Amino acid sequence: MILLRATFLALSLAAPFALAPAALAQREPPPAAPPFAGPALAAELGQDRIAVDTSFSGADLLIFGATERLLGPAGDNVVVLGLGPPRDVVVRRRVRWLGLWVNGPAARFQEVPNYYAVAATAPVAGLLEEPARRERRLGLDVLTARLPGPRDPRFRTALIDLKRASRLWNEEESPVEISGGRLFHARLPLPSTIATGDYIVQVLLVRGNRVVARQELPFRVDRVGATARIADVARRLPLAYGLACIALAAFAGWLGSVIFRRS
Amino acid sequence: MPVYLPIAEMSVDALLLLGIGLGVGWLSGLFGVGGGFLLTPLLILIGIPAPVAVASGANQTLGASVSGLIAQWRRGNVDARMGCVLLVAGLAGSAAGTQLFVLLKRLGQIDLAVSLFYVVVLGTVGALMVRESLRAIMRRRRALPARTHQHSWLHGLPLKMRFRQSRLYISIIPPAMIGFGIGVLSAIMGVGGGFMLVPAMIYLLGMPTTTTIGTSLFQVTFVSANVTLLQALQTGSVDIVLTLLLLTGGVAGAQFGAAMGTKLRGEETRALLGLLVLLVAAGLLVDLLRTPASLYLMGPAT
Repeated sequence: MILLRATFLALSLAAPFALAPAALAQREPPPAAPPFAGPALAAELGQDRIAVDTSFSGADLLIFGATERLLGPAGDNVVVLGLGPPRDVVVRRRVRWLGLWVNGPAARFQEVPNYYAVAATAPVAGLLEEPARRERRLGLDVLTARLPGPRDPRFRTALIDLKRASRLWNEEESPVEISGGRLFHARLPLPSTIATGDYIVQVLLVRGNRVVARQELPFRVDRVGATARIADVARRLPLAYGLACIALAAFAGWLGSVIFRRS
Repeated sequence: MPVYLPIAEMSVDALLLLGIGLGVGWLSGLFGVGGGFLLTPLLILIGIPAPVAVASGANQTLGASVSGLIAQWRRGNVDARMGCVLLVAGLAGSAAGTQLFVLLKRLGQIDLAVSLFYVVVLGTVGALMVRESLRAIMRRRRALPARTHQHSWLHGLPLKMRFRQSRLYISIIPPAMIGFGIGVLSAIMGVGGGFMLVPAMIYLLGMPTTTTIGTSLFQVTFVSANVTLLQALQTGSVDIVLTLLLLTGGVAGAQFGAAMGTKLRGEETRALLGLLVLLVAAGLLVDLLRTPASLYLMGPAT
């Protein structure tokens, strides 16, 4: 009992300053809650800013946290969902025309998350009922089924396949790891093609087919250093950037002809 | 050694880009072509988004052409007067070609149009070059005197001008028409047009192979500078990091190519370039005919 009290105390003490966004957690008190109970769920990101510099070749985003009750097959479960900024996407089907493969019918999907990743302590399909999964967009099948766009299911399947092949979408590739019964951590893979912008990670605590607590953790993907300056100049001063590209390329060509002069 | 490209927004192996630059630069120096018709499909093949591949390919072509142009200029192989005539007409042609591109895009199927243009133009040019250069080689083997100059109706046109370096005294109308036509094609295909210009100068204008290469590099340098600027202004898809990596390999390759080109006979150079052009055309044709691995493709909504 003393040990238990110490754990709760440590959690409730640590939460306000170390785990600042913990206040966002929507807690639902268990039937016999002790008066000093900490939050049901406290989670944090390893970093809230992914810096894209010249040597960036993808990253893993670490999500870690603790729960009030024991995690595992008999107890609570944690689901982690990562979402990128929405974009409009066009999927085209190639058709045969006079023996040549040409672009045929196209389907336009709106508000497609540019990035999507799900991880959980157990398969999500077994943790939540279909309506709950659909509401929270847990699973690529329910995500694409809800997207505004044409109804043809083949285009939706193709969208999933193409996004998965580009490594921008993934679904339960590796589970959320549990250690010591109440601590959990997960890594969401971010490929090198990830777009800059505002991202969000949702951490859900599932108990008996219901989501009992939820936390939203935002993070940003930003260009830094030379990469940021080049992209910035190209966007704001296109004429100067274009002239600089011409001058640099011509200079490199001249330099080469001097260095490799063979006559 | 991965490097992150700021405009393409992806990470690529730097050594792969250096290698591609070296190979394309070598061909550029050897044949006097910018290499855009090889570089752009190669960049798309390794996963660079198509607009970035076209724009940065034009920028790399510029650097490689400057390098080759200087090497050819030192050997006295550039007919600047002919280059200027071709260039002025070429810039007018590429402005017209851009309008045609916009029109084709509005009609849909711009991808098919570009692919068919590539197959038809590269196939025709390649086949003509291989046939002619093989004949020239055979004629030399049989030790027959080569025909230096044929007089045709082209020589009866007005506005004659003397092109001393090419040893020609012809009307400026045929070169201006060639420059304009290649300008239109290069705007649609997103290439400098050197591979079309070299054979056109040899077969249609009767220029000697040595000056065609330097003169074509002269024209390609300015056309690719124009394309780079237009792309930076209109689409913002010129990736300077990608360009400089390609160029690092490219400028070295261009010098070795130019040095090697002087050792080869003109008709052998033309036969090799013709074969290369035919190879690219065949590859693109196979791509159009073969059942693709994925029947679907994805892109951002425009």
